[in-house]
Amino acid sequence: MPSASSPVTLAPTTRSPAAGGGSPSRLRPVVTIAVVIAVLAFWPSIAPNPYMLSAGVVVLNYAVFATAWNIMGGFTGYISLGHAAFFGLGAYGTALLVIHTEIPPFLALALAAVATAVIAIPVGFAALRVRGASFVIVTIALVLVLQLVFQSARSVTGGSNGLVVPRPFPDLLRPEHHRLFFFLFLGLLALVLLAWLVIDYSRFGAGLKAVREDEDKAESLGVPTGRLKLVAFILSAFFVAVAGGMYGLWFGDLDPIFQFDVVLGSNIVLMALLGGVRYLFGPLVGAIVVGVALEYFVLNYGETQFHLVATGLLLAVVVLFLPDGVLTGVHQLLQRFRPQATSIRELSAEDLRAQQDERATADATTGADPATGKEGS
Amino acid sequence: MVSGALLFQSLILGILLGGLYALLAAGLTLYFGIMRVVMLAHSAFIILSAYLAWRFATLTGLDPLLSLVVTVPLFFLIGFAIQRWLLSRLRPATMTMMSVLLTIAIALIIEGLLGMAFTGTQRRINLPYGSSSVNLFGAAIPVVQIVSFALAALSLAALYLLLKKTRFGRALRATIQHKEAAQLVGIDTAKVSGYGFGLGLATAAVGGAALSLQATIYPSLHWHWIGPLMAIIVVGGLGSIPGAALAALLLGIMRVMLEIPMGPTWAQTIFYLALFLTLMVRPQGFFGGRLAQRF
Repeated sequence: MPSASSPVTLAPTTRSPAAGGGSPSRLRPVVTIAVVIAVLAFWPSIAPNPYMLSAGVVVLNYAVFATAWNIMGGFTGYISLGHAAFFGLGAYGTALLVIHTEIPPFLALALAAVATAVIAIPVGFAALRVRGASFVIVTIALVLVLQLVFQSARSVTGGSNGLVVPRPFPDLLRPEHHRLFFFLFLGLLALVLLAWLVIDYSRFGAGLKAVREDEDKAESLGVPTGRLKLVAFILSAFFVAVAGGMYGLWFGDLDPIFQFDVVLGSNIVLMALLGGVRYLFGPLVGAIVVGVALEYFVLNYGETQFHLVATGLLLAVVVLFLPDGVLTGVHQLLQRFRPQATSIRELSAEDLRAQQDERATADATTGADPATGKEGS
Repeated sequence: MVSGALLFQSLILGILLGGLYALLAAGLTLYFGIMRVVMLAHSAFIILSAYLAWRFATLTGLDPLLSLVVTVPLFFLIGFAIQRWLLSRLRPATMTMMSVLLTIAIALIIEGLLGMAFTGTQRRINLPYGSSSVNLFGAAIPVVQIVSFALAALSLAALYLLLKKTRFGRALRATIQHKEAAQLVGIDTAKVSGYGFGLGLATAAVGGAALSLQATIYPSLHWHWIGPLMAIIVVGGLGSIPGAALAALLLGIMRVMLEIPMGPTWAQTIFYLALFLTLMVRPQGFFGGRLAQRF
């Protein structure tokens, strides 16, 4: 009976906000991810020298970090300045496992990331019990306390002398090593982007966005805000730890000052914010802009503190004038050249009428209660 | 076994350190009360003031505390400007999160400028009374610590009197308690908030000068201060000045006492431990009022 099935197929179309609905638009972002990754994959072949290749790895590392941060920051609106802690834990965890055990490097990386996610549970619990301000304070405190601990526990971490991580591929020459890790980071980026996308479309993601828009209302509507926030925090910490572990294996030298650095955390936030936290590719765009700028500053101004001033100014400008990110601006600009939207509704009047007609015929054939059908619109 | 004299000395030193913490945390919790803002640049301004005191002392050869004549009014104006022209531009809905980023941007700019102007070299003021100490029942207490505690206690008392006894103080407290109601009774809350911020930053000026007497300073030092200060205001209850002062004194004493068995670096972790425990057990802090319940 084909008519009975039509209300069932109708339900997802009414729920999906994207114009056009259905599976083609759901597949489109996946295709875009593939295209973006493919374009980025050209970098190793056009990079003029190994330094540019390694700069590419650094930028990709930022991109993975910022996108993973965005799983918490973008969906829930809770800005964590402390994700550098998870980055450092992932890096040190991987390094210590590789040094002290016989575990293969990439298995060590996975174990370290899982361990970091486990550590994130009590931290997230403490941070998320109360709203906003305390969350920020806990995240910063986490970075600062870990920096203290890792500097003091000299016998284990090497303290400020640093910790040398054995290379996973000792036979490779340096440029080859960079090239290989570039592709590894690229794969990781694709994975994190995909994770963000899946969450974006899921019911879980909808709950997180409800927290961002109005936590009180979300709670009163029965959204388990506390649990959702905690899961998002742990997921985000996990992916950041993977990025950290990968960084440790690539860079091969860890120092608490650089791993557990609030400035690193604020750089990541700047990247995500600059691109736009509501967009899949926002953090990636921001990471490319800020990452390239940071590399440029280090190259041209060296050890002076000018890069701090520049980052500070950029962050202030973004917060004051571009809090929604550049992609929002681009989006609005594009919107101007498109045919004017006739209605502020996400569905046009025609769509709505067509749906109502369809529903009416469906109701007529199945004899369902029209009152329940009304809810969808 | 640790001797009694050493314990007594640690107790005194802890109280002296706690006094300084109390003044600095009072400023931080004041901003929070006024605007729900976590002012991450507070400690950067402390270091800035310490640098100004150091520069003043090396240029003129006078006592660094005299620099307060300039820095206190200057910092008051800067605080007023930050509130009126920067923070109040942010959207109210995302105020707490965005203000954190804006103030961290200010902190980075200050740290960067200090680094560019004075390099990363560690600086210390040479004072005639720098290494002398007072003997108190067998405990040797450095004079600089007593001076900085006295300065902190004096400023804190002045702040208390200002908030409790003056018309402006009443207006400020009313603004903190309920902004709309304060507006209804005719308080210009925007202006009062600006003055409140100026007041908070003025405490940073005093604290910085006090710090410059006893500590070696360098541009990135503010990260070592912001953590303990934030821990103190959470333990004391966000927005509560007496809570912040009590928590500061308590944690300051614990910090110095723990230095005997654990050493200075591990002792520092007591602040973070207290922060995490507080949020686990009593997230609104131990002296926090209704305000702290929601944050």
